[in-house]
Amino acid sequence: MSRTFSLFSPDFRFSGFRKGRISVIDILSRYGTLLLTAMGQTLLLALYGLFFACIIGLIVGIMSVVKNRFCRGFALVFVNLIRGIPMIVLAYFIFFGVPYFCNMILKIGGVTLTALEAGSICLALNCGAYMAEIIRAGIQSVDVGQMEAARSLGLPYWRSMHRVVLPQAIRTMIPSIINQFIITLKDTSILSVIGFPELVNTAKNVVANTFMSFQTWGIVAIMYLIVILLLQWAAKALERRLKYESR
Amino acid sequence: MNPDKVKIRVEHLKKDFGQLTVLKDVSAEIHEGEVVVIIGPSGSGKSTFLRCLNRLEEASGGKITVDDIELSDSQKEINRLRERVGMVFQHFNLFNNMNVLRNLMLAPVDLKKCSKAEARERAEKMLERVGLKEKAKAYPRELSGGQKQRVAIARALCMKPDIMLFDEPTSALDPEMVGEVLEVMKELAREGMTMVVVTHEMGFAREVADRVLFMDEGLILEEGTPEEIFRHPANPRTRDFLEKVL
Repeated sequence: MSRTFSLFSPDFRFSGFRKGRISVIDILSRYGTLLLTAMGQTLLLALYGLFFACIIGLIVGIMSVVKNRFCRGFALVFVNLIRGIPMIVLAYFIFFGVPYFCNMILKIGGVTLTALEAGSICLALNCGAYMAEIIRAGIQSVDVGQMEAARSLGLPYWRSMHRVVLPQAIRTMIPSIINQFIITLKDTSILSVIGFPELVNTAKNVVANTFMSFQTWGIVAIMYLIVILLLQWAAKALERRLKYESR
Repeated sequence: MNPDKVKIRVEHLKKDFGQLTVLKDVSAEIHEGEVVVIIGPSGSGKSTFLRCLNRLEEASGGKITVDDIELSDSQKEINRLRERVGMVFQHFNLFNNMNVLRNLMLAPVDLKKCSKAEARERAEKMLERVGLKEKAKAYPRELSGGQKQRVAIARALCMKPDIMLFDEPTSALDPEMVGEVLEVMKELAREGMTMVVVTHEMGFAREVADRVLFMDEGLILEEGTPEEIFRHPANPRTRDFLEKVL
């Protein structure tokens, strides 16, 4: 009897390893914990990346709207540099290139980056550049009259920014930020190339062990989908709560 | 209150935006308790002049003194000046992310002018004064234009300013709401507030102004009492303008 692995074959639900058939259920029972752990690693990586991306995005985003020309120039160069480099190149560069540069050229011994560190930096830079653009656009979307009114009352620039402009800017930015979060979450899969044990990297190993590409990648796709749908649902709830109306 | 005291003195004020010269050479004095109304065609530099008085626009030349203190470039001093010079904008510019009460309390509390409780008390008093006590918890988007502008006036008053600047406060309002805002401004004028008002409301200028300035092309072409300006305009440009708007 030939080995047929069909998701829809009658024996798909009940077949087991002993019969030489491996089903979705089998993969889940054998590799489920592994895949969930890998999802955990994916989320951890995304969380680190997003956390620092928000900081980078906020700083660079604000730099691109202040009067100071040096700040604006720096922001422009940063954003265009990062946007102009594919993330996979950035990942290789940070993970392999930077330690090499330190060890071999600067002669600073022992500089190594773990895959998590390199991956987080890579995501933070990449996502940070896009966040900076979102934040710049968000701040510029707030009517200048808001800043002027705050200044006319005697509030300093940064207090006005903090109390009046940014809260309004962030509200309009939320959909774009969530979108960027989702893109970044999915971009963690690119970091499988530097050996970080996130979901795609782990799934590759599962496929190597089981030869069940269809089922394994199907499971992985659904896992990503669930996480992203949850994120979107949370975002919608947040957006609703931030409406400026008396309650 | 001392009507002889010069509150704001403007000497040879110039302002250009790149190539465009908006204020050529403007000199004026505004006395304590005086209501000065600035009229003139659009693009004449009225608003720019007003915005120079609290440094929302930086002057390109000339001198402005408030209470005999010359405005310097120090940001701290400018901020301190602005605490005493209230401003009301054409488009209200209420803080959309806060309800009315917090709009009024933000600056006094943030600048540590008074405690939170005092700020709230004063905010409520000011709201009552502009007739909007029941709107304390409303957000700006839930108010009509006239209500927004009255809140904006109350917000400025919460800082206890001794000068108020009005930049076309009724120009963005539906006609039926102009009256309620002008009423609040008249009340303020009666109480002796020093006011500089840029407006197209000639009726208001006639009734309330102590002095009317006519501006065109970056210059003050004529100034005088409402009687003088509206009845016997000396400058042909003033006459021309008034013929069009009256």
